[in-house]
Amino acid sequence: MQQQAVEQCPVHTYSPHEPRPLGEWNAFFDRLREEAPVVRNTFAGGYFVLTRYEDILAAYQDPDTYSSEAVTVMDPDPAHRWIPHMLGGEEHRQWRRNLGPAFSPRAVSGLDDRVRQRAGELIDSFADRGSCDVMTDFAFRFPTSIFLELMGLPSGELERFMDWEADILHSRGPDPATIARQRTAALTAVGDYVSSVIRERRADPGEDLVSQALQFRFEGRTATDEELRSYCVFMFMAGLDTVAAQLGYILHHLATHPEDRRRIVDEPELLPVAVEEFLRAYSFVIPARKVKRDVEVAGCPIPAGSMVQLPLAMATRDAAAFEDAGQVRIDRTPNNHIAFGAGPHRCLGAHLARHELQIALTEWHRRIPEYRLAEGAVTRETGRSSGPDTVPVVWDRQ
Amino acid sequence: MQAHIDLNRCSGHARCAAADEEVFQLDDVGYALRAEFDVPSGAEQAARLAAASCPERAITLTD
Repeated sequence: MQQQAVEQCPVHTYSPHEPRPLGEWNAFFDRLREEAPVVRNTFAGGYFVLTRYEDILAAYQDPDTYSSEAVTVMDPDPAHRWIPHMLGGEEHRQWRRNLGPAFSPRAVSGLDDRVRQRAGELIDSFADRGSCDVMTDFAFRFPTSIFLELMGLPSGELERFMDWEADILHSRGPDPATIARQRTAALTAVGDYVSSVIRERRADPGEDLVSQALQFRFEGRTATDEELRSYCVFMFMAGLDTVAAQLGYILHHLATHPEDRRRIVDEPELLPVAVEEFLRAYSFVIPARKVKRDVEVAGCPIPAGSMVQLPLAMATRDAAAFEDAGQVRIDRTPNNHIAFGAGPHRCLGAHLARHELQIALTEWHRRIPEYRLAEGAVTRETGRSSGPDTVPVVWDRQ
Repeated sequence: MQAHIDLNRCSGHARCAAADEEVFQLDDVGYALRAEFDVPSGAEQAARLAAASCPERAITLTD
C-alpha cells in the first residue's frame, strides 16, 4: 500500500555528492521542478524533494509538520541536537528570543567597522599578487575571522580553526569511513575548545557572544554547559561555509559577467539590492526536514517519518514566483526571496551574512575593481550545499 | 493607507525595515513591532515595496 503511494511521484536516483561544473546542479534542479512538484530520490535511505516555491514556503512555515529534529536526509535519527537549529516549539522560541538581540539588524550594524577591517586586511594580503583563489585566499578565511571576533578569540587562532573547518566540511577521498572519522574528530576538537572558552567566560565574562549566552534565561533557568557547547559548535558550522560559498558564487558571477561587475563598481549604492539578487539566484543551501504526520503535497502522499528536502534554489528559481527566475538581474526590486529559509527557523545569522557579503564586496571592488576568471579554470560544486570548490581569478596589477 | 502585519508569520527577515525603518519599526529581537498602523502620507511607495519584499508574505496594505 505504502509502495503504491510512494510511486505517485517521479522517482530518481542521483548522488548529491557528485561534483559537476558550476551551474549544472541548478539546471538539473530546474528540470526536476518542471517534471513534478514532488520527486523522490532513492539515494541513501530515500527521500522526497519539494520543487516549487509555494509548497516549500508552506513547509517552512509549518515546523510542527516539517520538523527540524532531523535536518539532513542522510541522518533521519540524529544522535546530536544542534542548538537552536534542531529544537522545536517553545524551547526553540525561547532560544530565538534570547539570541535575537545579538543578531538583529541593529546589533549587526554595530559590527560593521570590525567586519570591514577584517575584510580589508585579508584582501590587502593578496591584492598586489595579481591572482588568487577566491575560496582559499579569501572566502573561507573571512567568515572564520569574523567568528573569532564575535567569540572574543584572538585572530592568531585562525589557522587552527581553518584546519578544523576543512576536516568538518571539506573532507574528501574515496573512503566514507575515513571522512566520517575525520569529521567526528574535528567536531569533538571544536567542542572541547569551546567548552574551555565557556569555562573561561564563566570566570571572566566579556562582551562576546559566549559571555552573552551565559545570561540567557529559559523560564527562570540559565543554559547548561552542554547546551552552550552545542550552540557554539553550531554557530561555527552554520556561519562559515555558508558565507564562504555565497561569496564564491558572487565573485564567480562577477568574474564571468563584466557588465554586472562594472555596474557594481560604478553604482556602489546598488550593491545591497544586487546582494539580494545574488542570494536569490545562487541559493545553494539544501535543508531537509522530517515529516511528523502523513501529508499530501500537490497530490503526492508523503508518509510520516519521511525525510523531505526543501532546497532553497527550488523556491527562489521557480518561474511561478520570480520573473526571469533563471536570470540574474542585479537591480531586481522587489525581491522577496527565501534564500535564508522562512518560518520560525529563518537563518538567525541572515543579517550578519548580508553585512559580511556587502562589506566584503565593497572592500574587494575598492581594491580590485577589474578581474576575470583565470584561463582554463573549471569550477565545480556538488548538489549538497557545498559551494564552488575553487574560483581562480586574475587581475592586472596597478 | 493602513498596514497590517501578521506577527505570527513575521520571522524577522526585516526586509520591511530595509524599505523604511521608521514606518516598519522592529523590536529589539529584530521582528515587526506593530501589527496595525497608519502609513504616513508620502511613505506609500516604501510601504508597497516593504509588503512585496516580505519573504513570509506577512504584510497587507489597505487603502
